[in-house]
Amino acid sequence: MTVMGHIFYNWLSKSAFATALILLPLMHISDASAGNEPLLSPSSESLQLGEQMYRNGILPSGEPIQAFVKGDLPVPGTAFSCVSCHLRGGLGSVEGGVFTPPTSGLQLFQPFKILFKGLTQTFFPFPDRRPAYNDTTLAEVIRSGATPWGSTLNDVMPRYLLEDNDMAVLITYLKSLSARFPPGISDTTIHFASIITEDVSKEERDSMLAPLQRYINIKNSQVNSYKSSLGKKSRQMAENMMVSKELSTRKLTLSVWLLKGAQNTWHTQLEEYYRQEPVFALLGGISRSGWRPIHQFSEDNKIPCILPQTDFPVISDTDWYTLYPSKGYYQEGQAAARYLISTQEGKTDKKVVQIVRNSIEGAALSAGFEQTLRERNQPPVVTVQLQVGEKITSGFLQQIIKKENTETIILWDDTDVLTALESLSSITNKPKSVFVSARYLGDKLHKLPDNAREFTYITYPYSFAKAAVPSAMGGSILIEDESKTLVNLAQLPGHKPPETARQTSETITQLITMDLMEMRGNYYRDNFLDVLGMIPDQPSPTYARLSFGPGQRYASKGCYIVQLTRGESPVLVKKSAWVIH
Amino acid sequence: MRGSIPSNLLLFFSIILGIFHCDLSHAGTQYKRTIENYSMPDVVLVNQNGAKVRFKELMQSNKPIIVDFIFGTCTTICPVLSAGFVNLQNKIGSDSKKVHLVSISIDPENDTPMVMNEYLKRYKAKPGWDFLTGSRKDIDTVMKAFNAYIPNKMSHYPLTLMRPSGDNKWIRIFGLMSSLEFISEYQKMANK
Repeated sequence: MTVMGHIFYNWLSKSAFATALILLPLMHISDASAGNEPLLSPSSESLQLGEQMYRNGILPSGEPIQAFVKGDLPVPGTAFSCVSCHLRGGLGSVEGGVFTPPTSGLQLFQPFKILFKGLTQTFFPFPDRRPAYNDTTLAEVIRSGATPWGSTLNDVMPRYLLEDNDMAVLITYLKSLSARFPPGISDTTIHFASIITEDVSKEERDSMLAPLQRYINIKNSQVNSYKSSLGKKSRQMAENMMVSKELSTRKLTLSVWLLKGAQNTWHTQLEEYYRQEPVFALLGGISRSGWRPIHQFSEDNKIPCILPQTDFPVISDTDWYTLYPSKGYYQEGQAAARYLISTQEGKTDKKVVQIVRNSIEGAALSAGFEQTLRERNQPPVVTVQLQVGEKITSGFLQQIIKKENTETIILWDDTDVLTALESLSSITNKPKSVFVSARYLGDKLHKLPDNAREFTYITYPYSFAKAAVPSAMGGSILIEDESKTLVNLAQLPGHKPPETARQTSETITQLITMDLMEMRGNYYRDNFLDVLGMIPDQPSPTYARLSFGPGQRYASKGCYIVQLTRGESPVLVKKSAWVIH
Repeated sequence: MRGSIPSNLLLFFSIILGIFHCDLSHAGTQYKRTIENYSMPDVVLVNQNGAKVRFKELMQSNKPIIVDFIFGTCTTICPVLSAGFVNLQNKIGSDSKKVHLVSISIDPENDTPMVMNEYLKRYKAKPGWDFLTGSRKDIDTVMKAFNAYIPNKMSHYPLTLMRPSGDNKWIRIFGLMSSLEFISEYQKMANK
């Protein structure tokens, strides 16, 4: 399905009036947002307090805001903060048939117009949908729902009991919200960049960049063609048909920021790149050695970063600006712990021993494993660190098993796994289960010793389904990953990094296409992420399904536990659901 | 023909505007109530404490049951549905367990027991309100059993399903109720 087709389908899937709601009020936003009136400069402390009210429902005093919803339900403002419906960028939302109008200052303090994209209203100018609010009328509508034009707001909108001083703080914040375009946006261009670290092969870099550059070339050649006298009619037609006419005149650019040297120098390199080439957002990007400094750069500068290809994302429930494809190795550790708990009736009563190679992979896998056990109130795991080059001998394993009296060993290692499994399969008091990581094993996955396969459980973070690769301009049919076995092991996505890189970038072009349209000219970074959070699930050849949602920052949530069958032509067999609860 | 375009468009826009105005004046005070027969599937779900729950058994409880479909990071309608649950629990008073409130996740991959537990805490849920997740397949089965299947969480709609004690008929409420309407529906069900 094309993007337009997709959007049209979405509209059709909602009720007629929901469609009208989407069509009418949102369409005017782009023109309003382009205003550049000088704004007051309130103190940063006041803005922080306002932000706390807007995002967390907490008054400057530290108390929760008192709110009433559906006419008479008293609810704590912490559960009904402004941000939960109007979203972080303040441009509102449409969800479940409920339309939430914008609350950013530029929208509130001017008349809410009804405007139809691409249609000149010379014949029948419409009256304003509502007049502009001022501080007094806005305070009244927040408190009581009474509008300045004599009606009452839908009672889905809570009423907030705010004192005058608190109300002033909130209104000041609303005036500052999505008030100016960020760096990287001009009347003619939206600037993006991709970050690559020098440890990535040229083939992988090119595979990651090619779909993005192709998408941008197509988009820009459209804009070029609209500029000619012959293209004027095409442009008008596109503006009438497209949700966002702002895109018909704006080109996209993609800079490549190559990071060199030690990680502790990356932040400085990034700041310098950003100074020279201010960008709106970061698309994709790829690194083999960790993403933390780039993640921090995004947080510090409030720059969205969409699906960077890293197996080492920063794990955070609160950071906002980076949307990762998954939690990487951490997610595999998490899956192993969840599987253990679910198969042991909720408690890991015997000691679990984790043998961890001193590596970035080992650290991420063990962090996911340990944290999950902690969250589920399980006894702590015994961790044995392996130094780089240190061998796992049979004696070493027997000693651990005897000392810890364990039935479960987690082997977060790549170099010595096969020998260790061979040793374990031949000792008398061998553990009931050993867990290893498919991604960390790579090619060795196919070579697990035959005798060890029955007790070896493998974390496998990829789909078994042969999903079609989505094209740059359409296709969003979700593939259900229902096959129980994977026969063709050469399909292991970890074996083909350039292909994975290309596929992820194809997905990015899908997301960006929808996001830029749905933003409707409101090119604010928080809005970019807000809109992304509302995008329906997307197919992924690597993960089957990428899902989004307000504030969700890891698109693929699952990881199978699988086993390898015996024999020379083994297959992988699923032992768990994609997401283990 | 050119002259007719504006008037046609005007008519079109008038219709749309009519719908728009209609929504603002009445939305939220109307809901659709029907009585339905549903057959409960035998699937195992997981609650906010990580405990496995046999869904069919749960639905055979002698207590009145109220079911809704929500997700942890939802904006707009889930918070309103949940506010209704909070209010009902407050209204019932100390014995909050005498009615079983069951929220079923429609974002089962993201809604882990931890996410669901935090959600319930945010709403100050009392005992008697459970939030269930599971595999996507099992959640799909449950949605289908209630004639509430949606392929994607972002296209959901407000739905409350109420089953009186000792009955196998379900009251299906489509739309958002005010708290008074919700309490009134609950009392009708409880007094049945």
